[in-house]
Amino acid sequence: MKSLILLSGLGVLTLLSEIFNFKRKIFPVVLLGLLGTIVLSAMYWNTNKHYFNDMMFFDNYAVAFTCLISFIAFAWFLLSQNYFNEETNLTDHFALILFALVGAVIMVSYQNMSMLFLGIETLSLSLYVLAGSRKNDLHSNEAALKYFLMGAFATGFLLFGIALIYGVTGSFNLQTIANYITLNSGNIPALFYTGVLLMMVGMAFKISAAPFHFWAPDVYQGSPLVITAFMATIVKTAAFAAFFRLFFTCFSTIESVWGNIIFVMAILTLAVGNITATYQESVKRMLAYSSIAHAGYMLLAILAMNKFSAGSILFYTAAYSVASITAFTVLSIIINKSNNEAIDAFNGLGKRNPFLAFAMTVAMLSLAGIPPMAGFFGKYYLFNAALQSGQTTIVLVAVLASLVGVYYYFKAIIAMYFKSGSDSSPVEVSFIHKLLLVLTLVLIFAMGLMSDFVIRLL
Amino acid sequence: MMIKYIFYFLAFVSVFSALMVVVSKNPVHCVLYLIMCFFSIAGHYVLLNAQFLAAVHVIVYAGAIMVLFLFVIMLLNLNTQSEPHKSTWLKFAAAITSGLLLVILVGTLKGSETMVMPVGNPNAGLIKNLGNTLFKDFLLPFEVSSILFLVAMVGAVMLGKKEIK
Repeated sequence: MKSLILLSGLGVLTLLSEIFNFKRKIFPVVLLGLLGTIVLSAMYWNTNKHYFNDMMFFDNYAVAFTCLISFIAFAWFLLSQNYFNEETNLTDHFALILFALVGAVIMVSYQNMSMLFLGIETLSLSLYVLAGSRKNDLHSNEAALKYFLMGAFATGFLLFGIALIYGVTGSFNLQTIANYITLNSGNIPALFYTGVLLMMVGMAFKISAAPFHFWAPDVYQGSPLVITAFMATIVKTAAFAAFFRLFFTCFSTIESVWGNIIFVMAILTLAVGNITATYQESVKRMLAYSSIAHAGYMLLAILAMNKFSAGSILFYTAAYSVASITAFTVLSIIINKSNNEAIDAFNGLGKRNPFLAFAMTVAMLSLAGIPPMAGFFGKYYLFNAALQSGQTTIVLVAVLASLVGVYYYFKAIIAMYFKSGSDSSPVEVSFIHKLLLVLTLVLIFAMGLMSDFVIRLL
Repeated sequence: MMIKYIFYFLAFVSVFSALMVVVSKNPVHCVLYLIMCFFSIAGHYVLLNAQFLAAVHVIVYAGAIMVLFLFVIMLLNLNTQSEPHKSTWLKFAAAITSGLLLVILVGTLKGSETMVMPVGNPNAGLIKNLGNTLFKDFLLPFEVSSILFLVAMVGAVMLGKKEIK
């Protein structure tokens, strides 16, 4: 709760900095604030506090995800530091990002469906604007409009679902609804199940699971690169944490109703994401499809719905986000240099800047799931959780899908080491980006080696 | 008994006007039908003892938002039939999916006739009771929604600002 207040305060402070003219000093303040958020929320480990009439519940799950989200945000600010030097609306960007983080923290710690709705809306509304923040770029405008219209539509489904569930149970509280299900099992009106399915549609849209993924590639490609990085990491993590929290606390006892649908959704997402990613020329769009594919893997944890799920989902989102941040950092440096986001822009990077090429290789290998990177253990724990619940078929499909994944992740690696580009001038990397890349690389390896520690947290 | 007839009348008006919003070709007509739909829904709120909500609904939706809508339509000069043609396949797919959704919704409502709730406290929707709920039980969502509005405002300002080069 304190971390939530701190984040909101930071957001307001950045807005004030525009008026009182300390814009230049706001960047370190925000970084410090984010570190403070991590510390403040970590202090509530094992306290299990309920707030404001059970609107929010900071259990270990919420604390862990709050820390994770704040940390990714910290890395994200380091990544985007360059971008904001050129942009004019610095404070607006910062404020919107910080308020989006407030939404994300609410989404991982809600205990009441009204809070879920507010969290999702706060996060999405900031992103609709940020996606369109390049006002002179038609693609950016298209991305914003598409995201907004589709997002509003999905929110409609979510609200309809919440309304139906409220109509049956008379409560927005997750625990009350879960109790209702156990008390009335076998005697629940169909209205309730329809509500569950409608909520599922709304959430599936937010995590961009197929067949609700059509907005994702265009929005990811049209938005400014740093905003795409934000969407692919923080938004995905928060949306998934919210999805899992909802289904784990509320609907885990009626898995027969939604289990098959999630099963089909997971297979579709894995297939569509991985196969479409193979023939993308633009690295940005490839990463967009890969993020759809990763949503497919994460759906396995929801299907498994056992005591390993929460830990594996935390580990997977952490591994995925750190690797994505690394990839996006390298991509942003490349785009800055050559103004080209196609895979050819990486040609010969192994000679032009060996460190960058190494960072990109590690990120790609981690995303593909090659040991000893974090991504491999993420997949391992997810598959393990699914196998414990007897979901053999879906694990087989996921293994096949990750083999396809190896193909397109290696395309970038091959371009960097085995092809020579027209431009062979060395690539400069700023100090902050170097620092960020070293940090994320260490994390990718460390998480791989100490995966047991992370997984035992939840 | 009287209430029942009022309900059927309002239900007819709202469904009819909602259909007309979709069907009519002229955008201005659409907006006018939408206003009619909002008024009939406000009537439903009154029937459900939510008087304050009904008033707010009329003021905000039928008043403010629809006027904004009309302005935008007039400024864009959309009153000609400038709708882009949609492919037959798209129409076909949309008809099937929305038809399926309709079937599901009708099916679920059919099973739930038995669970009609008794009419609660007739004063539940008055401002005093609403305020009590809002500031006691739902204090945090109420405060958090201020952040939501702040985001909307900052976003609007940011999009409206001139790009300084």
